[in-house]
Amino acid sequence: MIDLLPHIINGLTLGLLFALIALGFTLIVGVMEVINLAHGSLFAIGAYFALTVIAGSWFAGTPFGAWWLSLPLGLRYVLALAIGPALAGLAGMLLELCLRPTYGKPPLYGLLLTFGAALVIEELIRLIWGTGEQNLALPQAINGAFLLNGMIFSTYRFFAAGFSIAAIIAVWLFLERTSAGAVIKAGAHDSEMVRALGYDLARLRLVVFGFGAALAGLAGVVMVPIWGLRPHVGVDIVIPAFLIIVIGGVGSFWGAVIAALLVGLAIGITGAYAAAWSTMSMYLLLIAILGFRSRGLLGRKSALEH
Amino acid sequence: MSRNTVSRRSLLGAAGAASAVSLFAGPWQHNRVWAQGAAKPLRIGITADASGMYANSGASDKRGMAMAIAEANERGGVLGRKVEFVHIDTETTAATGSRVAERMISREQCGFLVGAVHSGVANAISQVAQKYGIVYINTNSSSPTEAGQNCHRVKFVFDGNGTNFAKAAVKSAIERFGPDWMLLTNDYVWGHDTAAATKALLKEYGGKVMEEVMIPQGTRDFTSALLKVQQRKPGVVSAAIGGDDQKAMRQQVAQLKMGDKPAWINSQQDWDDVYGLPIETLFGVFGTTWYYRLDLPGVADFVKRYQTMYPETAMRSPGNVFYNGYMAIRELLGAVERAGTTNNIAVIKALEGHRISARDRMQHFDATIDAETHQVQQTIYLATANKAPKEKDDIFEVLSQAKAEDVRDTDSARLCKLEAYDKTPTFDA
Repeated sequence: MIDLLPHIINGLTLGLLFALIALGFTLIVGVMEVINLAHGSLFAIGAYFALTVIAGSWFAGTPFGAWWLSLPLGLRYVLALAIGPALAGLAGMLLELCLRPTYGKPPLYGLLLTFGAALVIEELIRLIWGTGEQNLALPQAINGAFLLNGMIFSTYRFFAAGFSIAAIIAVWLFLERTSAGAVIKAGAHDSEMVRALGYDLARLRLVVFGFGAALAGLAGVVMVPIWGLRPHVGVDIVIPAFLIIVIGGVGSFWGAVIAALLVGLAIGITGAYAAAWSTMSMYLLLIAILGFRSRGLLGRKSALEH
Repeated sequence: MSRNTVSRRSLLGAAGAASAVSLFAGPWQHNRVWAQGAAKPLRIGITADASGMYANSGASDKRGMAMAIAEANERGGVLGRKVEFVHIDTETTAATGSRVAERMISREQCGFLVGAVHSGVANAISQVAQKYGIVYINTNSSSPTEAGQNCHRVKFVFDGNGTNFAKAAVKSAIERFGPDWMLLTNDYVWGHDTAAATKALLKEYGGKVMEEVMIPQGTRDFTSALLKVQQRKPGVVSAAIGGDDQKAMRQQVAQLKMGDKPAWINSQQDWDDVYGLPIETLFGVFGTTWYYRLDLPGVADFVKRYQTMYPETAMRSPGNVFYNGYMAIRELLGAVERAGTTNNIAVIKALEGHRISARDRMQHFDATIDAETHQVQQTIYLATANKAPKEKDDIFEVLSQAKAEDVRDTDSARLCKLEAYDKTPTFDA
């Protein structure tokens, strides 16, 4: 019999990382009612820009490049954590502008457009950064491993999980304690009412999409030192992210967080006893939860249920 | 005679024309005759992945084939015909591989199919190829089943397989690191077959499997498996994990600093999967069929030709995947030359049992295309991370080279039942 505790810890850290990925996705779905299939590509864009910031590859061989690389890795990593998501956010805003003609049309239009955008972004990544595997260098302080109860754990994994907690709290505070957050939440609840109150709905959507994309980019910077970086890395995250927001209840912030933790635990614990089922476990969890509660854990009731 | 009456001459002419058309129609009747005019190019369908788990390796595979085709055309083509290629992405998906093969044969009029990294894709392509009698070369997929139970008369397998690599590594690893092994196995055909080969050898040499952890394809987080490795404490971990899964695993093992203990045996390490990564991710002992710094005649020139042809490619030194793609096309076109025809059965016979000198292969020992299984029996190298590189790309340290006969996959030879020649549709490409 194997000791389960390390696997539970592993599942929780994985769940926190999934939560970070799903946050931006749920925000966009909640406010815009658009399933953004390019979310994974925005995740990848954030990671690739972070790579450029850390490695300084675009300026290699120039005096600026030499100066840039002389900066401490820790500083470049912190800059990457800011610049990568910011540029992913800008890319998201551009995508939102392209999406505008699809508003008011059947959801398939938005779905197809974001799917097409995902393909285009992946090819652009290949052209700009190449097709090969890349490595995001980490500062020594958060790299390496430590011993806990006789088991080796990755320091970075715990850093990433801690970072996810901080990001979740920051986003929650932003949504709950700022006027901009209140407008976003109101937009998710009833966008027409927000417009009637004099808010510029188009700008709100632009900002929300950019914010959601920046969160995807942030998740990319945090996740790729664990998962590795390659042009189609974003494809790997779209399905778990989608699954998590459905399990949690579409548009529900805490629903997404709880669902992410459950998915992480399901994968972690199945990995200990029946590894071949670890990927399948999240789908089984989806079936189990939606079987009992079709709107997800914390999803709103539909009009038909009233 | 009325002007509308059909004359005997026109009737014979029409019948002749109809007969001629019927020879070309089909498209895939037995004994089909395809246009063999000197001006008609020889078309090769490249079935390399451009997306999915093996997109990166697929790109190298294709580059190798394209270089061999370019060199053949510089020499004046084959049998006086220019060689062309068509490439369609097989998406690292068996169903797509099947569809692509059908399209290349029936719509793109390809006379030969070449390429694959994923064993499931290679198997799917080869089933279609056998149906039409199209010679197919599986360049880079290394499941033992490819030259075993899934072998076909039209299919030739150019990569070393899991059994070859396991035979090269298992016995010495048991002696050095002990009999307690744990297996990490990618949950698809190549992983299963490679693990089965390892288990058989462990049984033969006195090793034992403490546990086998099945890793679903597409796994990005290996922490559960690595925690289990720590809990079970094996002497050796034998990993049959491929493609992007392997890249993620390497990264996570390196982060946990578990690369040195336990000992790691990786069946085969494709160059494309580790190129450009930090050296600490390249832990353990692994197999390969070729390395760009082998001190053998022709290697340096081959590398130079690659660098000249692909000046913009980020991968500045070719690896085993590129090499296999190149060798497959070169041997295929060589067989057409030797046969003096593009008739598929003649080409198959020219390939079967063909011996290739070590010098031509740029390997340590001669190779043979096994007439029983159609797998290239070749030199198998064991390597590890190079702690004293001579240049940036010099990341492998070759530890040993095994002769083909010492690592031959005898199980495949037992399981492979090639279709009879007369059960294989014939045609001229």
